[in-house]
Amino acid sequence: MSATEENYELAKWLAGEMTEKELISFQKKPEYATYSKIAAYSSQLETADFDADAIYRNTIKSSKSKAKVIPFYYSKWIKIAAVIVIFSSLAFLYKTTVTSTEVAEKGKKTNFSLPDNSQIVLNSGSEINYKKWKWENNRKLNLDGEAYFKVAHGKKFEVETKLGTVTVLGTQFNVKARKDRFEVTCYQGKVSIQHKTQEVIITKGMSVTFENDFFDKQDINVAKPEWTNNEIAFQKVNIHTVVDELERQYDIEIILNGKENTQLFSGILPSNNLKAALDIIISIFHLKISKFDSDKIILVDF
Amino acid sequence: MEQINSNGICEELLFSRFFKANIKSLRNYLYFKFGNEEKANDITQDSFIKLWENCKNVPLEKAKSFLYTIANNASLNEIAHQKVVLKYAQNNAGNDRTNINPEFLVEEEEFKQKLEKAIGKLTESQRTAYLLNRIEGKKYHEIAIMLGISVKAVEKRIHGALVSLRIEIEQFR
Repeated sequence: MSATEENYELAKWLAGEMTEKELISFQKKPEYATYSKIAAYSSQLETADFDADAIYRNTIKSSKSKAKVIPFYYSKWIKIAAVIVIFSSLAFLYKTTVTSTEVAEKGKKTNFSLPDNSQIVLNSGSEINYKKWKWENNRKLNLDGEAYFKVAHGKKFEVETKLGTVTVLGTQFNVKARKDRFEVTCYQGKVSIQHKTQEVIITKGMSVTFENDFFDKQDINVAKPEWTNNEIAFQKVNIHTVVDELERQYDIEIILNGKENTQLFSGILPSNNLKAALDIIISIFHLKISKFDSDKIILVDF
Repeated sequence: MEQINSNGICEELLFSRFFKANIKSLRNYLYFKFGNEEKANDITQDSFIKLWENCKNVPLEKAKSFLYTIANNASLNEIAHQKVVLKYAQNNAGNDRTNINPEFLVEEEEFKQKLEKAIGKLTESQRTAYLLNRIEGKKYHEIAIMLGISVKAVEKRIHGALVSLRIEIEQFR
């Protein structure tokens, strides 16, 4: 008897689906007894018990807590949104706390505007630091060196230096803070100056100087600082102050080898003609040029 | 006639009834397949969980097909064909008392052992179809749904199983 008949007669037999004729025919076969036993004994087999109740409890319990929730953090869009939020927060944080810096190197001057359109000219070897964030409500900056300010009208405008603070409302003024010399000149409006424990208010055409214990008040009659016109003005300064300024303006090293000189100088030097400036200096302070290189000058007593 | 539940099988009473009616068959089917009780229990649970989670989308009449589809998919990744250990029912009440003589009992015992060994040698597809019919008492059309095959395919497997079993047993004569 072929075992590959397409009517799968054994399956039919097992299911009791054979016709009577087929059945009688099958029962006559020798292998019938074996098949009979196989079928009968197979039915007596059992599987081990298992805890169906536990499975039910776990089914109901586990899904209920999950509910039909798409885990928030799995959603691709949430991830993208999170990245955007973090990035914007960092950008915002950066913007609000970061300080802007303007620098004028030696031999150079820098012009720039503040967010409120106040204009500033930075003299050589100077630096200003300020925060752009909400500038109009907090017009405060830090100056190291010298700068000329044309302040737009608005809220209080403050210039902080190591030597003192200058406060204005809307004016044009110059602040010089070099070493121990704190010099403020007002070209327009009114300026309040605070130095150590002193507070002075000056108006247009006035200039004050603090240097350690030295205090001086001057009248001036120019519309804006000379240095913005390639001229350096000095008021009762000593040789060292002059030399320092020349070094900054010309980006050159000047060495003084001579007796200590306490002579004071008031006058104007060019900032665009080194030879001419030196000629004036050596004649006033009785010096001579012993060395003149592109990056170094040595002055000695005459 | 079951009320058409637009909520699928989500109503817990409905679900629990379905569960009770199908848990044993599913679990044993998986046991016949893997020969491993733990695996069978785990996949059974996972399948019911998935059904419960998707209850809204599954009406009662589709539930069984859904359940077995899930189970069969889950099984695809599993290593099948471990030794299936079955035991014979302890209940001897059905035996013909007039035939109890030692020789008969020994023969019977021998036959049973041969049968067990032979069942272990069936292919997975033959084994699952055959045992679902013999042990779980499932009709061919029911087995067809469970296995995701045609009735004809079920018949082929059952037929093939019987032939294999006979050949295997007769070899030991």
